[in-house]
Amino acid sequence: MNKHVKNLAPETTDLSRRSFLVGTAATGLVLGYAGSGIDQALAAPAAANFEPSVWYAIAPDGLVTVTCGKADMGQHVASTMAQIVAEELGANWKDMRVQLASNDPKFNDPVLGAQITGGSWSTMMNFDAMSRAGAAGRIALTEAAAASMGVPASELVVRASTISHPKSKKSMSFAEVVKSGKATKTFTADDLKAIKLKSPDQYTMIGVSVPQLDIPLKVNGTAKYGIDVMLPGMVYGALVTPPVRYGATVKAVDDSAAKKVPGFIRAVTLDDKTTTTTGWVVAVANTYANAKKAAAALKIDYDGGPNAKLSSESLLTEAKRLQGLSDSGQFFVKDGDPNAAFGTAAKVLEAEYTTNINIHAPMEPMNATAEFKGDILHIYSGNQFATRSGAIAAGAAGIDPKFVVMHQMWLGGGFGRRLDADMMVPAVQAAKAVGKPVKVIYTRENDMTMDFSRPLTYQKVKAGVDGDGKLVALSHDVVSAWPTQRWGIPDFLSPSVDKKGPLDAFTVNGSDFFYTVPNHYVRAIKNEMAHNATPSGQLRSVAPGWTFWAVESMVDEIAHATGKDPALLRVELLDGKGKNDGGAQRLRNTLLAAMGLAGYGTKQLPKGEGMGVACVSSQERATASWTACVAHVAVAPSGEVTVKKLTVATDVGTQVNPDGIRAQVEGAALWGMSLALFEKATLKDGGIEQTNFDSYTPLRMSQLPEVAVNVIANGEKATGVGEPAVTVVAPAIGNAVFNAVGARVRGLPITAEAVKAAMKA
Amino acid sequence: MPNLNINGRNMSVEAANDTPLLWVIREQLQMTGTKFGCGAGLCGACTVHLNGEAVRSCQTSVADAVGKKITTIEGLSAKGEHPLQKAWVAEQVPQCGYCQSGQIMQAAALLSKNTNPTKEEVVAHMDGNLCRCMTYSRIQKAIMRAASDMRTASATGSERRAT
Repeated sequence: MNKHVKNLAPETTDLSRRSFLVGTAATGLVLGYAGSGIDQALAAPAAANFEPSVWYAIAPDGLVTVTCGKADMGQHVASTMAQIVAEELGANWKDMRVQLASNDPKFNDPVLGAQITGGSWSTMMNFDAMSRAGAAGRIALTEAAAASMGVPASELVVRASTISHPKSKKSMSFAEVVKSGKATKTFTADDLKAIKLKSPDQYTMIGVSVPQLDIPLKVNGTAKYGIDVMLPGMVYGALVTPPVRYGATVKAVDDSAAKKVPGFIRAVTLDDKTTTTTGWVVAVANTYANAKKAAAALKIDYDGGPNAKLSSESLLTEAKRLQGLSDSGQFFVKDGDPNAAFGTAAKVLEAEYTTNINIHAPMEPMNATAEFKGDILHIYSGNQFATRSGAIAAGAAGIDPKFVVMHQMWLGGGFGRRLDADMMVPAVQAAKAVGKPVKVIYTRENDMTMDFSRPLTYQKVKAGVDGDGKLVALSHDVVSAWPTQRWGIPDFLSPSVDKKGPLDAFTVNGSDFFYTVPNHYVRAIKNEMAHNATPSGQLRSVAPGWTFWAVESMVDEIAHATGKDPALLRVELLDGKGKNDGGAQRLRNTLLAAMGLAGYGTKQLPKGEGMGVACVSSQERATASWTACVAHVAVAPSGEVTVKKLTVATDVGTQVNPDGIRAQVEGAALWGMSLALFEKATLKDGGIEQTNFDSYTPLRMSQLPEVAVNVIANGEKATGVGEPAVTVVAPAIGNAVFNAVGARVRGLPITAEAVKAAMKA
Repeated sequence: MPNLNINGRNMSVEAANDTPLLWVIREQLQMTGTKFGCGAGLCGACTVHLNGEAVRSCQTSVADAVGKKITTIEGLSAKGEHPLQKAWVAEQVPQCGYCQSGQIMQAAALLSKNTNPTKEEVVAHMDGNLCRCMTYSRIQKAIMRAASDMRTASATGSERRAT
């Protein structure tokens, strides 16, 4: 992880403030960190069975309910947390249940100190805490059972929710122990730290593909997403968003025609002091269909604002101008002196790599339901960043964030989109204006044109090779909007190497790769114009989605320029020297595994076909999963690229749920392919031109290639799997296209036109 | 006040004739298993059956549904044990799950007519249903599994009748 993450909330501080509780409450055994009273009182919804301070509770019937503080957007993280708890607790998988946490700070991530889901961090950062929580429960239950049975606790065996004493053949179920009321042991932070956890050879649950707990709800229509929330007296809001992505203002609203729509209540022009939105109006009515009709009937006069004339071309031109300035940006990596090395290099290569704007487009359009109840603002929405989103909702309401309760829902896709809180603003302000709960649902057109998109990026890479064909220097400029700086949270920024102030490492992560290059510069350059015109967000895999596109394409270009095999050049560069020791070798091994599994270089491919490789240390240097891909493509004379097979290998250290990991890695790899070939958004006159799935076109079933996912679990610590495979696929495909037909395409997406043009060149 | 036959029950709803069936199902009847995805018939998240045919409920007016049998994910089988639903669990298909009601309803329309589809027939039938989590290969596997289970059940049924 980046240094900022450690700064956010040091683990030790968090633990020392709190003591771990094991005690019997009316409804069962409760395990968790004791939070501060005020937060609990505020966060507790009216329901009588709310359990404060819990990671999990065991009911008298023996059911274990784990409360997941992470947003579950399809990565089955709630089930994963339950699986980690169940391993140490000794619970039977059929007894495990999950529920989603509110924004009570006691559910904050134990490492991050906030409720945020991203970075492929969840498993790696919660593995220890959930393991210790599970173990503490097992110890407490065992001691209670020992007392009941009148035998030494050390002679008891815990398995499948049962505690047994083999010598006397006595046994008690978890349910019986909970009912006995004797489980009262308390654990301090030090006690927890002292617990000896199982070693991997003792695992019976970790590493097993148990069925994901959320799946049954998702095949019969009963899983509740934000859009499914129904509150008594609730009305609906439909948005009118301006033609300009950001910076427009509403001059006048004429609602005379809307007033003729049955059920219309009123139009609310947002007054968004959080500056999340600009120029939005929400039409409120008794049904969503009527709200949409009313929204369509509103006549709104806008001032387009400062970005109204900007286009993708303007953003790219500005990026190139900034890159050309010697004093632009800040250094993220500054090893040796590439400029001096270029002067003595035998060969210097230079190339520009670009990526276009990309839209998250989760299948569940953005939505939020807001309800004021007394002093408390209740928000119902599937969200990845409750800590910040609650504050945005509070800002929209003009109240203190401590009065906001966020009710987490299943997320109908996240991919980073739901780290943002724009949907809170119209829901809150409409609810305040009409005095009723309001559910605001974006149309797909709102959702696409107001996305916090992956920014347009421009990268210039210069490489120097010495007389022996050795890569001696690399300078890499990355120009983009700064999505994470937009959050306004200093702890998420990183210091620059040249001490020119903090930079947004989430625009350059990945460029600090594990190749040994003695002279290496990376400059992070903020494209202020793009930052303002297209407020950008974190799209699945974030920076490594573009930095590795540049790095892994350039490594291939170097290989071809020096007559080396591109895969073997990587092996050579991954020598594990100095700071790269450890990681480089793991990445090298993963690459070799992928090569072997794909049959790389073992046979002559037909004309027009080729294999390309790439390997990545996504997401961040300190949180890497070691991932490699061999793409096998066929390129038609028209330039059209067909992906025949993606072979992905990934070293994840420890796998909690192997089947779940395969699902995540396959989904991520297909995201990588979709971004590489099919997805492109463009800015024109300040607005996103693509409005629905006819013009923004993610991969469909008919475009599905064969995907072979191979997971390496070597007993190292668990790493993340939701994102890394996204980043490895585009360069692997680009490199494969070059190997197939000699066409080097340096812009994403790789279109047939671009391939054809490069074939001719 | 249109009368609808939905999941075997007759229900009267209060909605203008041009209201998309999707919103009537979700808001008035509070059956939220049918999802809104694009509002333009481009993603398939809102798929339901009208007289056994898969249709996009965002593109179907409530008036067009009157007099027809509407089936939603909630009514596909009494206990959620349609062979496709079982296969979806067996293959662990859903990730976020949002599109899966529509995927299952779309697939159910295919298998009701053809319990032995080729892979090409499955792809052609399913290509209008987007899955942003990209669970397509598991969807294909689950459809093939359900089809096989349905063929087995039907063969067993015939044997039983024969004896």
